Amino acid sequence: MPEPLLSAEGIAASYGTMQVLWDVTVEVRSGENVVLLGANGAGKTTLLRALLGLVAMPAGAITFEDRPIHHLRTDERVRLGIGYMSESAVFGDLTVEENVLLGGWPVGRRRARQRAAELYDTMPDLAQRRRTRAGSLSGGQRKMVGIAKALVANPRLVVMDEPSSGLSPLFVSQVVSTLDQLSSSGVSLLVAEQNVAFLGPADRVYVLEGGRARFTGSVADLESDTAMHDAFFGLN
Amino acid sequence: MLLEYALVSGLLFGVFYALLASGLNLAFGMQRIVNLAHGDVVMLGGFGAWELYYGFGVPPLVTLLIVVPLAVAAGFLLFQAVTPRLSRSDDPEMLSLVLFFGISQTIEAAAALTLSNNQRSLPSSSLAGHPMTIAGQTYPGTLVVSAIVSLPILAALFLYLYRSPLGRATRAVMADPQEAAAVGIAVKRVSSLSFGVSLALAAMAGVLGIFLFGGASPSEGVGLTVISFAVIVLGSLGNPLGTLVGGVVYGIAYELTQTYLSSWADLVPYVLLLVVMLTRPSGLLGRSARRA
Repeated sequence: MPEPLLSAEGIAASYGTMQVLWDVTVEVRSGENVVLLGANGAGKTTLLRALLGLVAMPAGAITFEDRPIHHLRTDERVRLGIGYMSESAVFGDLTVEENVLLGGWPVGRRRARQRAAELYDTMPDLAQRRRTRAGSLSGGQRKMVGIAKALVANPRLVVMDEPSSGLSPLFVSQVVSTLDQLSSSGVSLLVAEQNVAFLGPADRVYVLEGGRARFTGSVADLESDTAMHDAFFGLN
Repeated sequence: MLLEYALVSGLLFGVFYALLASGLNLAFGMQRIVNLAHGDVVMLGGFGAWELYYGFGVPPLVTLLIVVPLAVAAGFLLFQAVTPRLSRSDDPEMLSLVLFFGISQTIEAAAALTLSNNQRSLPSSSLAGHPMTIAGQTYPGTLVVSAIVSLPILAALFLYLYRSPLGRATRAVMADPQEAAAVGIAVKRVSSLSFGVSLALAAMAGVLGIFLFGGASPSEGVGLTVISFAVIVLGSLGNPLGTLVGGVVYGIAYELTQTYLSSWADLVPYVLLLVVMLTRPSGLLGRSARRA
């Protein structure tokens, strides 16, 4: 079994005095594609933001490659090799190229440019829109820019928040396929989603409900759990 | 002839006003800090030019280069000192107003005690020896040189923000500090540096302003902050291109008033502020230009 890359134990998170996560434990191993499933308000985004250090974490511990990181600032965590794509995905006022290059901030200008050129080869649609303001792109194109931004620093783990939100089914399958290719190339993924289309290529699933972990296991385990099956795959 | 003169001198003053206000705009863009001490830093720039000229014989154009690292370092350290308190506040914008008002009053009082309350001025010849002729009209050499010097400084600011990796990071922080941190940008360091740059712009404006305002005095800070604020509100808050437009519009409006209704000229910043806030609160360039 591969070594754990990211390990978060007993995570509690709060916005001011309002606690939204209780005792959540998540693990992503090297090369794994892990999906964090849950309805709106389940705490998925908060958990990802806690892992990145973007919300207060009154309890819990996080390690990345066996190194404790919960005391580090967000930028310090990212520089260790964690890429992040938020739900909004891009800086809307900046161009596509500026967004992609910003993603390479941790590795320096030269390497970021080299890696961006490689990504443009695999995403020719982005290459054509380099000078376009990211905020003027369609939802799907923005997500692709967000993915490129999250990948340009060659992170070992990519954390994504609802890559399907606001996308048409066609774009959803395009994003799923892109993530599948990423996972095959050895990049570890932690994807927060409510769209079960992302479960296809997933190795493991965590289900969050009301700020607490309700399920951990494989996609097959999830499908065989009657309550979870009904909640996420619909009543047949 | 009178109209032509007012328009050209307004344009020249306008470019300088854009420099005067650009630092305030940059500080506002970074974490929405309203630096009420902006005009006091301009004043210190003027006093710096005076001290260096009479103390060491340093020409004002050289002082422009000297004040940059000093102001950047001071701004960097000040920002590092105040942000922990601001970030803990429920209302950081209001706290920044109060905090920088206090800093403004402290600078003004300290300047009055240590530099005297008298207005200090420099001979025009230390910046530009002779009046200059443009389209058949003669303008003060200090005004023309100040505008000529302001333009490349503004261009450098534009290049810094839009063509350099650090500027890109600065704009990312301006847009969304948390998202910027999530791409690996050390937000506090970038913000501190930008605040330092904003003070450097103010100090450089002060070096030129000692000629255009007829001198520098410790009590001028508040008035200069008001003018700067009027310029950035006119152009569009947070937009460097808007600052240039706002500066030129303000400069021309001021010079026209000075020419035809001179006793009303000092009301110009307040009237323009009111008119813009009531009719076009997003500034003359508005939202789309803010994305330039």
